[in-house]
Amino acid sequence: MFGGEKIKIKKDLYERVKKFSELAGYSSVDEFVEHTLEKEIKDLEGSDSEDEIKKKLKGLGYIS
Amino acid sequence: MKRRNYLKVNILAGTGLALGGGFSRPAAGAGNTGKKVIVLGIDGMDPQMLRKYLAEGKMPNFQKLIAQGDFKELSTTIPPQSPVAWASFITSTNPGRTGIFDFIHRGPKNFPADLYLSTSRASEPEGGKLRLGDWLVSLKGGKIENLVSGTPFWNYLAEYGIPATVFRSPSDFPPFSSKANEFSGMGTPDLLGTYGTFSYYTDNPPKNAKDVTGGEVFPTFVKNGAAKNFIHGPNNTFRLDPEKPFEETGGKKIYNYEKLKIPFTVYVDPVNPVAKIVVGDREIFLKQGSWSDWVELKFPLVSKAKSLFGIAKFYLKELRPDFKLYVSPINIDPKNPALPIFNPEAYGEELVGALGRFYTQGISEDTKARTYNVLNDPEYWTQSQMVGADWFRALRFHLDRFKSGFLFFYFSTLDLGQHMFWRFLDPKNPIHEEALKSGLDSPVEKLYQQMDHALGMALEKVDRDTTLIVMSDHGFAPFNRCFNLNSWLLDNGYTYLLDPDKREKTEYFDNVDWGRSRAYGLGINGLYLNLEGREGTGIVKPEQEDWLLKELKRKLEAVVDPQTGEHPIKNAYLAKEVYNGKFVGTVSPDIIIGYRRGYRGSWETTLGKYPKDLLTDNTDPWSGDHCIDPTEVPATLVANKKIRKADPNIMDIGPSVLEEFGLKIPSDMEGKPIF
Repeated sequence: MFGGEKIKIKKDLYERVKKFSELAGYSSVDEFVEHTLEKEIKDLEGSDSEDEIKKKLKGLGYIS
Repeated sequence: MKRRNYLKVNILAGTGLALGGGFSRPAAGAGNTGKKVIVLGIDGMDPQMLRKYLAEGKMPNFQKLIAQGDFKELSTTIPPQSPVAWASFITSTNPGRTGIFDFIHRGPKNFPADLYLSTSRASEPEGGKLRLGDWLVSLKGGKIENLVSGTPFWNYLAEYGIPATVFRSPSDFPPFSSKANEFSGMGTPDLLGTYGTFSYYTDNPPKNAKDVTGGEVFPTFVKNGAAKNFIHGPNNTFRLDPEKPFEETGGKKIYNYEKLKIPFTVYVDPVNPVAKIVVGDREIFLKQGSWSDWVELKFPLVSKAKSLFGIAKFYLKELRPDFKLYVSPINIDPKNPALPIFNPEAYGEELVGALGRFYTQGISEDTKARTYNVLNDPEYWTQSQMVGADWFRALRFHLDRFKSGFLFFYFSTLDLGQHMFWRFLDPKNPIHEEALKSGLDSPVEKLYQQMDHALGMALEKVDRDTTLIVMSDHGFAPFNRCFNLNSWLLDNGYTYLLDPDKREKTEYFDNVDWGRSRAYGLGINGLYLNLEGREGTGIVKPEQEDWLLKELKRKLEAVVDPQTGEHPIKNAYLAKEVYNGKFVGTVSPDIIIGYRRGYRGSWETTLGKYPKDLLTDNTDPWSGDHCIDPTEVPATLVANKKIRKADPNIMDIGPSVLEEFGLKIPSDMEGKPIF
């Protein structure tokens, strides 16, 4: 599905990834791996979304 | 150490908090060094109010303590906000060194996108594997940081083997990895990662339902005698939403996570005003107008072995004619805490073993539910009294086992009560008359008397080897008028908008023309320059900084409220003149606004709105405040010994405690002993 580069991982890790991708509701191992890597990169680029942070701040009684 | 589940082990590993080898630290009193120091921290206890109730003979235990020792006003921090003041209490250093200046801070490089609560923050992950809810996403593989810089004074006690327990200190989330027993206080989130999000299920949603902050309104209808809905937990970032796992936008997949939720059904009795609520395998019977005990909420993640645990209270407000069910913010379950709220973990286990479940959210009193009329005054009173009851039970537990060492015990209820009930006291408050019709009788006075009762409990433990200190972090004042700082900056040419016609719709500074704007207000008391080299959008050149700050100070202090003839701003403090330390000019605001009694920064200005009017009446039930000039709201200091220091300061308490135990006061502490 990637139509792009291939990455090698160890077989036992692949089996674990496969099991988890099914549990997590992904349609394929490729899809799960791609999304997981995307999330990692996004986290490294920044943490919570702005909306989530604003929601947190607004729960404080001192502001509205 | 009992590791409750895999999930928790990983979170804690990520936080970098070492929890020791599985035993509670020596409890305050478990050893027997002979000496005892008890500090009761009563947030918001105002010396003027205390004097008034003393004069009326309503505070007999305070009268007794003062007769034994002393009573003085306690100078507090600029600004006198709780996180700021308690951070200086904890470390005996000024805000320039604690790094805490307001409830809200910003990262200047990415401002206004980068806003955060000042005392704790989730740092960027470092490659871990777990994801939980909104808050926990960032914790995964990363760590939660307590942003208070400096050493808690109780660490020095622990180093010398003096048992120390610190119960609910603000600015102590996550607990300092000290050798003391600690239960985190103000700053501790709920299970959603917010600072309190209630749920309100009703077939008659209020008109302002979309504007509600600090809560969610869920339309819920009774059909065939039953109302069904869900308790909404955090996102489950382990799983995609089974109904809609992704959306495609512009050829790109946007994944949707499963929303953790627990179904519940309310079976309404056809005749009587009672209902049965079924949540998971739990059945709760409630009369209209009654509250449940804690209900455990288990949110499964990937498998049953990995779950998030929360607790909530249900309040059946009304069954007929309307259906109204309030569910409290989901507190972190102290029995299975998903975040580090105890240090060490075994201390939490001892508390749960002795007390059962209790509130864990940092500010447990649900002021937002009152503000939006989801709870009325008597209902809010009941809710806040349940919080207070938890603290009284905990105080009894700690006092009963206290034999030696240091005990700090914190009460929140008076502070929140004065915020919400000051309108009962002040005829000038815009909604004073309405408050008097609420059916509540003298709530503030009752709260002061409850604190007198708490002191009475502590006095029972006082012997000749005991030093007892009662202190607050600030006093209190009416909050009748709101000052729109950002509006003032806009109207006086310090800020420009990209589209002036959209002024009233501006929020989170989203319409600000940063290429022309020289200053902005953020938080309750902070004013910042848009400084070149610091702010990502900075335009004020360093050589312009000093004169611009002086100009702002002069003009702000000269503002007059046409309705009252008063100057709303008593002092505009220049950070460089009132603080010292590495956080001055980096994290700190450049000016701290010291409002005059009766005024405060408006609700709108705190997060970057620009209302048309500079000054407005405060019609919110949140009617008392202290985020003003510190000289207007000094704190309270009472002790069973003569206080010899002429002008005691909140930074003096830590050194005083150390001296009581005969310890040397570290040179980096700014406070001096009071006795």
